Amino acid sequence: MSADSAQSGGLAITGLVKRYGTVEAVAGIDLEIQRGEFLTLLGPSGSGKTTLLMMIAGFQDATAGDILLDGRSIVATPAEKRNFGMVFQGYALFPHMSVRDNIGYALSVRKRPRREIAGRVEEMIDLVQLQGMEDRLPAQLSGGQQQRVALARALAFAPPVLLLDEPLGALDRKLRIEVQAQLKDLHERVGTTFIYVTHDQEEALSMSDRVVIMQSGRIEQVGTPQELYSRPRTRFAATFLGKSNFLHRDGRVWALRPEKIDLHVGSSGDDRTTGKILSQTYFGSVLNYRVETTEFGVLEVDVDAWRGGAALRPGTVVSIGWHDEAVVPLED
Amino acid sequence: MKPGFSTRFNRFAAWVLLMFLVLPALVAIPVSLTPRRFLSMPQGEYSLRHFETLFGSPAWMSSFAQSAVIAVSAAFLATVLGTLCAIGLWRIASRAAEAIRALLLLPLVVPPIISAMAFYRLFVPLGLMDSYAGMILAHAVLGAPLVLITVSASLAGFDPKLEQASRNLGASTFTTMRRVILPSIRPGVLAGALFAFITSWDEIVVTLFITRFSIYTLPRRMWNGIRENTDPTTAAAAVVLLAVTLVVFLIWVLLQRRARALNPQPE
Repeated sequence: MSADSAQSGGLAITGLVKRYGTVEAVAGIDLEIQRGEFLTLLGPSGSGKTTLLMMIAGFQDATAGDILLDGRSIVATPAEKRNFGMVFQGYALFPHMSVRDNIGYALSVRKRPRREIAGRVEEMIDLVQLQGMEDRLPAQLSGGQQQRVALARALAFAPPVLLLDEPLGALDRKLRIEVQAQLKDLHERVGTTFIYVTHDQEEALSMSDRVVIMQSGRIEQVGTPQELYSRPRTRFAATFLGKSNFLHRDGRVWALRPEKIDLHVGSSGDDRTTGKILSQTYFGSVLNYRVETTEFGVLEVDVDAWRGGAALRPGTVVSIGWHDEAVVPLED
Repeated sequence: MKPGFSTRFNRFAAWVLLMFLVLPALVAIPVSLTPRRFLSMPQGEYSLRHFETLFGSPAWMSSFAQSAVIAVSAAFLATVLGTLCAIGLWRIASRAAEAIRALLLLPLVVPPIISAMAFYRLFVPLGLMDSYAGMILAHAVLGAPLVLITVSASLAGFDPKLEQASRNLGASTFTTMRRVILPSIRPGVLAGALFAFITSWDEIVVTLFITRFSIYTLPRRMWNGIRENTDPTTAAAAVVLLAVTLVVFLIWVLLQRRARALNPQPE
């Protein structure tokens, strides 16, 4: 199936706007999505990420701008003719249909021969490992199984693009991490372009080729997870993806990740400042300290918990240092 | 633990109220079993002679058939119209749609006698008086709002994402309605159809206004039977009328239970 779906699936979005009355839910988006890419739209609720996805799916009309699939405009194409697979929030499985009929639905409405549908459904069942569940109703499946049926249903007609609207939101944390790995693996096998909406930074970082950070209907920053994490361009990008300290120096604001700060008792050669520990919190893998420094105000510092030995008590005086490349200048 | 006085009193009062509501409807049953020739309570002796008369009478039998044909056809028409209307209003989902919905429910609120006069005024020039077509049309108008209510209630619990999912998978509006929306709201559609059937089955006011000689439904013949003589055959007919209504109601109850068992609300 990677053969048929990898033929197309490149999207270009230009000047896309969605206005409700005077409110701009999507306020001018320009974005190129490569075929076969795993792209994540990341943002808080109200950032316009879901509206953007719904416009790509064809459920929302664009107020202005264009969406091109492999160079052809699709804004005038109704949702049912766009041939985009979609995994809905809450899955939206048809409750009165068996797993088999859910997965075969897209082919059956396309009037494909019975034999072809049966073969394809079996293929998809194998792909998402639901053997033996074919005749169950969605209500008889666990959340994780429902999620896999939704994936199989959306991929059954080999769409060039798969849209995913917070597909892991309903799963508990342990299962979510498992499914993240499965999704990434599935993406590599089918070769379809994935456009994934989430507000969860961990999901964005762990699965995506590129992440689009959105806020107030606009793109804040686009890049690979590594780029976004190590070189955030704005204060919003720095705090929404990971945690950050902000230093005010030379009339600019600089971002400094808590784990890139070196903290020790006593002094060494390349200390930047000294400070006093205000509090410490244990997170299992890391120990987080809040340190009142003499030059930069309160800084958060993350230390590998296994390295630190005994936790330092509040009031302890410490030296603090970092490498030059750890601080990143911000635009705002 | 023994129930206290107020609990016992409440229970007793509830039973009295229930009897007050139900017993008058059941009074036809003993009366229909009287061995005498006039309407009376049987005293010690019971007889099925009035049922014999009822089922042996071509006039009564034709009334049964007429009532059944009209009720089934009217229920079918009301169900189609009411369902389409409910789905249409659900899809529009605006303030105007709510206003239209209120307007469509008017036949339920308007006193039957007013509806009856309206049908009379309308049917005379249209030549629909005293005809099957006219009866079916009038009863469908009375039943459609009930279907609108039950189907709208089903649609309120329908996840609009299912419709989006169907379209996203390539289904046209019509296919989506047939394969996704209708199966999901089937309990509401069936309930509406049953209510529309019962509405037509025992309707008398409108019927009296728009029929003359050829249409003689069961309620109309009972009405005449009571007015012109005190023949207990009428009581026997009432028992059959009641029995059919109860059976339909029972079907509805069973459907509700099955729908709940098949479709437990996920989360």
